[in-house]
Amino acid sequence: MRTMTPLKPISSTRKAFYGVAFFVLFVAAWAVATFGGFVSPTFLADPLTMLREGYLLFAKYGFAKDVALTIWRVLGGFVLAAAVAVPLGIAMGSYKPIEAFFEPFVSFARYLPASAFIPLLILWAGIGELQKLLVIFIGSFFQIVLMVAVTVGGTRRDLVEAAYTLGADARGIVRRVLLPNSAPAIAETLRLVLGWAWTYVIVAELIGASSGIGHMITDSQALLNTGQIIFGIIVIGMIGLVSDFAFKWANQRLFFWSLA
Amino acid sequence: MSKLVIAAVSRTFPGGRGHAPTVALEPTTLTVTDNDFISILGPSGCGKSTLLRIIAGLDAPTSGRVVLDGAPVSTPGADRGMVFQSYTLFPWLTVRQNICFGLREKGVPQTHQNEIAARYIERVGLRGFENHYPKMLSGGMQQRTAIARALANEPKILLLDEPFGALDNQTRGLMQELLLGIWEAEKKTVLFVTHDIDEAIFVAGRVAVMTARPGRIKSEMTVDLPHPRHYTIKTAPAFSALKARLTEEIRVEALRASMTAS
Repeated sequence: MRTMTPLKPISSTRKAFYGVAFFVLFVAAWAVATFGGFVSPTFLADPLTMLREGYLLFAKYGFAKDVALTIWRVLGGFVLAAAVAVPLGIAMGSYKPIEAFFEPFVSFARYLPASAFIPLLILWAGIGELQKLLVIFIGSFFQIVLMVAVTVGGTRRDLVEAAYTLGADARGIVRRVLLPNSAPAIAETLRLVLGWAWTYVIVAELIGASSGIGHMITDSQALLNTGQIIFGIIVIGMIGLVSDFAFKWANQRLFFWSLA
Repeated sequence: MSKLVIAAVSRTFPGGRGHAPTVALEPTTLTVTDNDFISILGPSGCGKSTLLRIIAGLDAPTSGRVVLDGAPVSTPGADRGMVFQSYTLFPWLTVRQNICFGLREKGVPQTHQNEIAARYIERVGLRGFENHYPKMLSGGMQQRTAIARALANEPKILLLDEPFGALDNQTRGLMQELLLGIWEAEKKTVLFVTHDIDEAIFVAGRVAVMTARPGRIKSEMTVDLPHPRHYTIKTAPAFSALKARLTEEIRVEALRASMTAS
């Protein structure tokens, strides 16, 4: 192998090759550990068993419905959080008095782990859909608010000044400078937080749920079916990957001006 | 008819903890009349940008006042167009949309906006680039767009804060000719801040020389070169004579600045 040069880009075919190579090695190591008898099947299913269990989950146990429910919960909670958090973040980033009013509380609330609220939320909202949505809402809301506020507040001052000398008023500055300037970074924030929302939903489903991917995983644990557990985890990863790609694709389309 | 009066304007920046306040600008007085093209020449850090920002309304004077057509200036407004040294085109807008920014803010109908934009795009030689985004343009083209954007608003006075400072020498020369050509054709009132002596003489009808920090205008000099000016005038004897005088005046200030710089 040739020596590597720092920051030197590589061709797209080589990039794809390396990316796939890791997955191949990973599965190979897993196959050796399980088929080779190094790990007991009780603790770790082999890749083929995992695939078989996955097929059974979809064919016999209606896993598709669980997947759909989980996706619905993530999107529901996330969209609710974003719908309130983005406007609030923009207001905080644009107007310093509003920021001074909310920022200390939001910074405090940001460190409260969403999962710690689950027992309380079960008490308040039961174990229905509302509780799941609330967990995701709490987990996403404060993060989005703070990151959006920082983004908007960090708008280049000279752009704002240029707009002022062109006759823009306060409203014009917010709508025609701060907003479009921050839009790409806000979209990137949402992409990031959507990833975190996925962890919250699974945690919410591990505790007090009767459906969803997380619930299936707890059920499989009781039955010592590690094949199903791993399959569930991989499904989560796949969905995350797809949504991430979709977000990246949309951002590149919408905000091509911010790229070279 | 007097247009812009800068009356004993000074600016002191408050010091931080344990630091003395910085006097950026000592009381400065300057009168700019219709169709004047005045260069404000001074060593870096002399407060010439501060003075321009105060005229633009982006900064407030500690004392004194700026009066434009009888009305005191306190906030930024479309009547004073500004071009900055840094590239300040809105990256999410095309060249045409950038030029239309102020017109849209005024509520000019879209078709009329496009007519005005087309005229200034032609004026600064950017035809064919109307739909380009700033990222796709060179520094010189970005500054041309910025000039067009400021002019499209039809300001009473155009303020230029070292607009060509970040450009290479050749581009810089071309931009000076472009700006001068626009002024000769449209007779705008222009205040042009620079630390480049050649540039200050070539474009202006009058050069105001500033002292080192704390800055004030120490002398004014009329540039009695005929219009239209061709770039070859930079090698003419009359130009050289002006340059020699200004070089002497600026050198003293640059020396003072280098001695007092902390």
